[in-house]
Amino acid sequence: MSETVIDVGQRPIREIHEEIQDAAKSSGRIRVVNTLSRHNLGVGLPPGIDIAFEGSVGYYCGGLNTGANVVIERNAGWACGEGMDGGHITVGGYAGMSCGSAMISGTIHVKGDAGPRAGVAMKGGNIVVEGKIGYQSGFMAHSGKIIALGGAAASCADALWEGEIWVAGEVESLGVDVVVKDPTAEEVHEIDNILEPLGLVDTSRNWRKMISGQRLWYFESRDASAWLMI
Amino acid sequence: MCGIAGRILAAPGRVGGDLVELMDAQEHRGADSTGFAIYTMPRDTGYVLRGMGFDKSGIGSDLADFENALKDHGASLLCDPEILTDDSRHYCFRMEIGDPDNIAKWVADADTLTDRIEIQSCGRSLEIIKDIGGARAVADKHGVREMTGTHGLGHARLATESSVLPNASHPFWARPFPDVAIVHNGQITDYYTWRERLQRRGYNFLTYNDSELIAVWISDQMKSGLTMQQALTKSITSIDGVFTYMIAVGGGIGFAKDRFAMKPIVMIRENANLAAATEEQAVRRVFADECEVVNFDGPSLTGIWQVGNRRIAA
Repeated sequence: MSETVIDVGQRPIREIHEEIQDAAKSSGRIRVVNTLSRHNLGVGLPPGIDIAFEGSVGYYCGGLNTGANVVIERNAGWACGEGMDGGHITVGGYAGMSCGSAMISGTIHVKGDAGPRAGVAMKGGNIVVEGKIGYQSGFMAHSGKIIALGGAAASCADALWEGEIWVAGEVESLGVDVVVKDPTAEEVHEIDNILEPLGLVDTSRNWRKMISGQRLWYFESRDASAWLMI
Repeated sequence: MCGIAGRILAAPGRVGGDLVELMDAQEHRGADSTGFAIYTMPRDTGYVLRGMGFDKSGIGSDLADFENALKDHGASLLCDPEILTDDSRHYCFRMEIGDPDNIAKWVADADTLTDRIEIQSCGRSLEIIKDIGGARAVADKHGVREMTGTHGLGHARLATESSVLPNASHPFWARPFPDVAIVHNGQITDYYTWRERLQRRGYNFLTYNDSELIAVWISDQMKSGLTMQQALTKSITSIDGVFTYMIAVGGGIGFAKDRFAMKPIVMIRENANLAAATEEQAVRRVFADECEVVNFDGPSLTGIWQVGNRRIAA
């Protein structure tokens, strides 16, 4: 398989986009070097390509992905994979705030920690974080799963809709309107099916599954206890 | 949205050039105005002032009135002021002065002239340069790249709550505390409450910018006996809003981030050499090689970065 190498440096991001789109037509594999944490790299990637970013990237990398396989060697800035609708993103290090925000489908795999509000308003897909998820992760997640193997920071799963947050390890505190469930064996098996291709299955984990308490779904402003909950 | 940056050099050098790079990389976060707070080598006595005047036809008489106010407090100019004029409506100046008998009283008197002339920084080493436009334009106009020192702050402003004016630009000096400057990204929602409290304690504000308030708030807390770390921590629960700010003194830079973790700050440090900014791509301008970046992404965070072994005090 041929490989195209694209050098970022301080060149205009529009040029980089055009080179990536051109390379995607003729080459199945793209390597992007000298990334310097620039923003908006690899936004709107087409399906069926493999693209690797050497070093760290800035905001929105892999956003609006429609099916590409994206590997970020080190850290990703804010909103990695925002709005993606397919494909796979691997972050070798840390993912900044709002990783996978509003994503629709596909998988984001973060090998380090993820910042605050991971999966905010996500509508589908999976976010797997080997480390800890940040403050208020899963905030208003409509669907999809966030799976954290190294615990969760405060206000976890705040104001959740139909998304699910699975945490192995310590949860500093729960957000508003969250219910913690003991998962069934069948549900754990489903999680292991997500983790298995990533080589992360460990049957000794003690999972906490968080779902919505549904009290905020149809919020009644005269319900004083609901106000106090907030 | 604004962009902020801090820079500490391992040894005194061209900190101005690095701050220009840090702010040029963040110009998209706010191109209304750009400013720099540069800590040059500190003098044992005397202060360096930076400021602006607003009537170019009256430069001579305005500066004479300013000098007279200085003499009333037992100090004088140590050399001729440097005046910078161009086709802007305002002009900028730099002065070196002797020690007034009481700096707070002198600043209060000098502030009676603010409809004509305004002090924007005062310190043993602090010099604040700020103006309308992007980083490169402001740097070219004021010779920022050539400025040497130990550390400094930078700010790219997207004006939201106060006017696009050169004197409403950041950084802000914590008047009347010498050598204290702030850059801030965010919004303080209990601004007027704190402003009135601080005014009752005798502080004077030249703008309605919330960043100016935080600088004075922190300095007042330190004057009341808190350490900088304690003051930073207290600000998170005492001040409402979403914010990340960096506040600098002669001994280093502190930062604080609000309870909601809405405003980013990242940092790269190699031994005593440090750069921090709103965006990682900015700090990569001064640390181009791939190295470890600290993302302060969580809520309620504070920190202090010292310049060498200098003491942190307001």
